[in-house]
Amino acid sequence: MIARILFLIISSLGLLAALGTVLARNLVHAALFLVAFFFCMACQFVLLEVEFLAAIQVLVYIGAVVILILFGVMLTRNIQGDETTSGGWTPRLPGLLAALAVLALLFAGIRHERGLGARPAWTAAAARPDAPGQDLLLNMTPVIGRELMSRYLIAFELTGLLLTIAVVGAIALAYRDLPTEAPPPSAADHDQTEDAPEPAVTGTPR
Amino acid sequence: MTQDIPLTWFLYFAAAAFAIGLFGVMIRRNAVAVLMAIEIMLNAANMNLLAFWRYNPAPAGEGPITGVIFALFVITVAAAEVAVGIGLVLLCYRRLQAADVDRYDRLSG
Repeated sequence: MIARILFLIISSLGLLAALGTVLARNLVHAALFLVAFFFCMACQFVLLEVEFLAAIQVLVYIGAVVILILFGVMLTRNIQGDETTSGGWTPRLPGLLAALAVLALLFAGIRHERGLGARPAWTAAAARPDAPGQDLLLNMTPVIGRELMSRYLIAFELTGLLLTIAVVGAIALAYRDLPTEAPPPSAADHDQTEDAPEPAVTGTPR
Repeated sequence: MTQDIPLTWFLYFAAAAFAIGLFGVMIRRNAVAVLMAIEIMLNAANMNLLAFWRYNPAPAGEGPITGVIFALFVITVAAAEVAVGIGLVLLCYRRLQAADVDRYDRLSG
């Protein structure tokens, strides 16, 4: 009973925060609503008994992704104003209809799901099984560590490679050649293509 | 627990969050705001993964925490994607002097 009430409170707060993110005019407000949404997701993860992922959610999403987004907001201050020229709700109507259509489709799919072969329907899953055993849920972190290093080793290594590529790519994209910022865009195009093969970690401006 | 949360409640919540994120992607004109809405959608998918993992018995050949590992990798890839996305937005802002997605049309015919 208490679990249901908690779930309803956290869900409504999370959905309100998500609505705030997509509707806020001020981008910093939108980022703060996003923080609230991520925190509500972390609470839902605790309700699902994966506290490790709740902690990772707070650390990675709130602690890194939102900070990056705020950097992006601060560094791309619009010179001529953005959302204030969007013209109210009329151009947003098709988007709203499409989102409502997707919502209706998903709700109908969840509600009328029937199960596949020997599996029962989702609506029958009224209570969670004690399935993995209580000791798995209490010892999630060592199990995750062991599984990552044994069963999911390839995915783990590929993810490390992906993160390296992302870091190098982000630096290569946003690298700024300071003394040659002034010239017209065609010259800047030239400079960017020359920069690409060079390692971006030298740090000495030209 | 006397009365547990049904699985479908988690799925409804994830579906609603996904629809809100989709609405944000289509509505917003600022590129960074679009990235924020994409993150909402990714979190909704993660929610689905974990709900299905918790409410189903573990499959025979797989490990005991398949859903958790999947969600962990989704979080990692989403963080990498935001990093590269912000780099792209900064580059486009520098070229076109705006973070408005309607202005990013240099490749269109």
